[in-house]
Amino acid sequence: MSYESVLTTCPYCGCGCQFYLQVVNGNIVGVVPDKTHPIAEGALCIKGWNAHVFVQREDRLHKPLIKENGEFREAEWDEALDLVAEKLGEIKEKHGPDALATLCSAKCTNEENYLLQKLTRATIGTNNVDHCARLCHASTVTGLAHAFGSGAMTNSVPEIDDSDVILITGSNTIEQHPLIGSRMVKARERGAKIILIDPRRVPMRLFSDLYLQFIPGTDVAWLNGMMHVILKEKLHDKKYIKERTEGFEAFEKVVKKYDPKTVEKICGIPANLLEEAARMFAKAERGSIFYSMGITQHITGTDNVKSVANLAMLTGNVGKRAAGVNPLRGQNNVQGACDMGALPNVYPGYQAVANEDAAKKFEKAWGTKLSREPGLTIVEISNAARKGDVKGMYIVGENPMISDPDIEHVRQGLEALDFLVVQDIFMTETAALADVVLPASSYAEKEGTFTATDRRVQRVRKAIEPVGESREDWKIVIDIAKRLGGKGCDFESPAEIMDELASLAPIYGGVSFDRLDAGEDLLWPVKEPGHAGTEFLHEGQFTRGKGVFSPIEFREADELPDKEYPYILTTGRLMFQYHTGTMTRRTPALESESPNPFVEVNPEDAKELGIKNGDWLEVSSRRGSIKIQSRVANIVGKGVVFIPFHYAEAAANVLTNPALDPDSKIPELKVCAVAMKPLPK
Amino acid sequence: MTFEPNILAFCCNWCSYAAADLAGIGRMDQPTNIKIVRVMCSGRVKPEFVIKALSDGVDGVLILGCHIGDCHYVTGNHRTMKRFQVLERLLEHIGIDPRRIRLDWASAAEAEPFSNMIREFTEQIRELGPNPYAGSYA
Amino acid sequence: MLVLMLEDIRKLVKRTLDGGKVDGVLALWRENGRVGPHLFVKGDDVSTLEIDPKYNLAAVAILALASGAKKIALIGRGCDERALVELFKRYQIDEDAIEFIGMACSAEQAQACECDIPYPTKIQFGEKVDGVVPNELKNVDDMSLDERFAYWRDVFAKCIKCYGCKNACPVCVCQDCVLEDPMWVKKGEIPPEFPMFHLIRAYHMADRCVQCHECEEACPMDIPLTLLYRQLRQDMKDLFDYLPGASDAKPPLTTVLEDEKLEEGA
Repeated sequence: MSYESVLTTCPYCGCGCQFYLQVVNGNIVGVVPDKTHPIAEGALCIKGWNAHVFVQREDRLHKPLIKENGEFREAEWDEALDLVAEKLGEIKEKHGPDALATLCSAKCTNEENYLLQKLTRATIGTNNVDHCARLCHASTVTGLAHAFGSGAMTNSVPEIDDSDVILITGSNTIEQHPLIGSRMVKARERGAKIILIDPRRVPMRLFSDLYLQFIPGTDVAWLNGMMHVILKEKLHDKKYIKERTEGFEAFEKVVKKYDPKTVEKICGIPANLLEEAARMFAKAERGSIFYSMGITQHITGTDNVKSVANLAMLTGNVGKRAAGVNPLRGQNNVQGACDMGALPNVYPGYQAVANEDAAKKFEKAWGTKLSREPGLTIVEISNAARKGDVKGMYIVGENPMISDPDIEHVRQGLEALDFLVVQDIFMTETAALADVVLPASSYAEKEGTFTATDRRVQRVRKAIEPVGESREDWKIVIDIAKRLGGKGCDFESPAEIMDELASLAPIYGGVSFDRLDAGEDLLWPVKEPGHAGTEFLHEGQFTRGKGVFSPIEFREADELPDKEYPYILTTGRLMFQYHTGTMTRRTPALESESPNPFVEVNPEDAKELGIKNGDWLEVSSRRGSIKIQSRVANIVGKGVVFIPFHYAEAAANVLTNPALDPDSKIPELKVCAVAMKPLPK
Repeated sequence: MTFEPNILAFCCNWCSYAAADLAGIGRMDQPTNIKIVRVMCSGRVKPEFVIKALSDGVDGVLILGCHIGDCHYVTGNHRTMKRFQVLERLLEHIGIDPRRIRLDWASAAEAEPFSNMIREFTEQIRELGPNPYAGSYA
Repeated sequence: MLVLMLEDIRKLVKRTLDGGKVDGVLALWRENGRVGPHLFVKGDDVSTLEIDPKYNLAAVAILALASGAKKIALIGRGCDERALVELFKRYQIDEDAIEFIGMACSAEQAQACECDIPYPTKIQFGEKVDGVVPNELKNVDDMSLDERFAYWRDVFAKCIKCYGCKNACPVCVCQDCVLEDPMWVKKGEIPPEFPMFHLIRAYHMADRCVQCHECEEACPMDIPLTLLYRQLRQDMKDLFDYLPGASDAKPPLTTVLEDEKLEEGA
């Protein structure tokens, strides 16, 4: 007889809601939202309410699998781990450490990501470690690090309550960050204004005071246009610019060119609406900007982010309560995975691998020689695998066969590897290609921490034992590291791993399980054990000293519509599904809401194509084609189509363009050119 | 263009549908605005049916059953009556004019009362005008 | 005063557990700096027991009993007691499996919930205070039909279809929920169709809502659901002289007409 209520953190988006898993005799049967949690406040979205459902599904991976003659067979742990170590070791021996690469997971805990990047750097000896943040906010990290010195949300989520004007762009907040979206809607009821600037008429349109629709890929132009108006009407914060920033003159010169009429021609936003938006935002006492993938997933991703930073600085809105620049992070722990250094160019706490002091510090701590050479990013790893430069990969909790652009190329890369080991909780499309599959544990089966989108470090707690013979990821990583001769991996618990991390990454300096278990709300930087954490960044001065204005010219997307491929495809997510669907498609309450892929088509385009809602289409790009049903709705503008990327059976990423932003190496998932052909009924 | 109400009527198999049939056979003069859905018992008509009809743009909904005491299933219409009272109030709370729905009884022999009822209700809906409640959020 | 009461409750819980007549006491506890539901068993430290914030424990009791516990005590408020009454009536919990220990809510607690009956019938702790009538109730009453429709249409536009209202409700006990049936509510749409989704749920709450406010507290958009359900509760009183959670009378929407009403109906 046992009933337990275990407080933990939601494994879906970056909001970081907490709830109590309801555990009856070892079965998780439900969730109860935490009424005392600062974000959830007793509520959840539909994914949170169903976050327990996939955990004990029958098709969880229960035993290690080894592929022989193209078929998987079950294996014991020792055999599988020995094989992994042997193969990885062999490749390292023969081709050097840079022939190996690992993908960490934004679904795993901080402690696990820390260990995995440590294994990659210290034990294997390469910086080829990356994760899906490359595909979501890589450009935020580069753009905001350049402008402010730190690439995270400047403000905390509860501050939304006190914002005067909330500018949302490239974020379908209500569907993707429901408990942040609801907060914005409630702030508006108390008098805040909402400006929504998005190519899609997303649900937030019902609650926006101004809605501006624009052509995907033209973000820099309208941002410059807004700033042009602000400067022209002298609505900028001169004192702030003078005292706290640099680079204003060069920036001003560029922005002068973007008058609203010119911008209207580029973006399709009526000049008067753009002016109105500029005035509304500039006049706010506390103006906050929220953005997401709509800004970042472009070859101009870093430019877009820098432009957002320009707008915030121009109006004096950084380093202030309830204002700021707020990139909403998609995954439960994508912020944390970045913080842990699951990136090819930085150690934990964003300390550059190319920085001699930083490298020395980690060499000392980890007792080994480290590479000064930044590693490869996700798409680069895939390219290198195709070319034969990367020969072995260790992928933990990621599914690039759905999530990455140009899936056909990803497949070729993974198939070209000499050895692929995938560690996951289900047999994913990626795991199916592996030589060895290691059964991992879900969030409900382990201890650890996740870092939510607003830098909030929170505990994840074990509610049940790992299912079948699956093991906690951190234990698996330790087992592999030890077999590879790794030193410094004698951790007894995730709490000990956090302690090591805290000693090396100053932004986590004061974080410990003890503090978190005492109920402290810790938002990094938490400099030392007595430090209370940081609600909003850059107060008084920017992390880098002065904020930097960047002069940014508008550049067109890599692939524009033409005669052959006349529509712009943009991709994204739905409320009821999540990423590659590994969890949500196994959750009946979610899958039944949105079971089928679709392409969203504007009614005018539908008319021209002669199609009705529900008709089948072939959608093709220069990289591939898919068959998919249409959903005719006035959500995308004319000439634009939208496909959610959750569905393997009609994967949007068969079509997308892997062209990269030169600074951050983020692929342009938000714009590519496609053609559409109605299929015979 | 003049407004022609679009009305849905749920008639029970044993009484009110037979009354409708008899009215038809008798060639009684009655408006053609009514679409009849035959159900085995008025008790089959869940409130969802009525709400769905209004939500989808029907201008008025009739539920017609056997007289109390005459139900083929003895008490099916008892439940209909109770539910209907709650439904009427609920519609009013949410701002939907409860005059758009009506519950009445007709025996298999009551062709003329049936006919009159339909005429009356059609006129009532005509006065209320088109259903303003349908449609999702723009 | 409240502190003294809390101490008394902790003492009683300890005595109850030591007495051995129950397998556990369902209440709230403070752990990891947060407060949530917990089944105290013999030997547990009762000093962690809390009585705020409000969690409806009646729904949790179903889970606690599913573990195999034969009998548990439950420290609850008026709304917990009312929810339990409905759950007993609807065969979800065996009446003999629960020993209810009732607390009356303070005036502040009653105000926070805008609760009409902020006390259980059996009060062991606290003192009875008056019920609260929400101001908004009069506002919507005074509106014309069209105004009211516009009001609710706007309010329900905020719905993100989390089903939190259904999930948090202690008396929503159907295995297959009509709200999830695509026959009635279109799948995958946000906001869900108005008025379908919300009218259907409201109708189904009519003879069971015990005004615990769990739905409203679980709503990420603060939709004033209990305002609507409260009006329906009043209807049940007017029409059938029935108040959900107040007696063991059968829910009137599941019964047939009585003699007197028969006359009226005919």
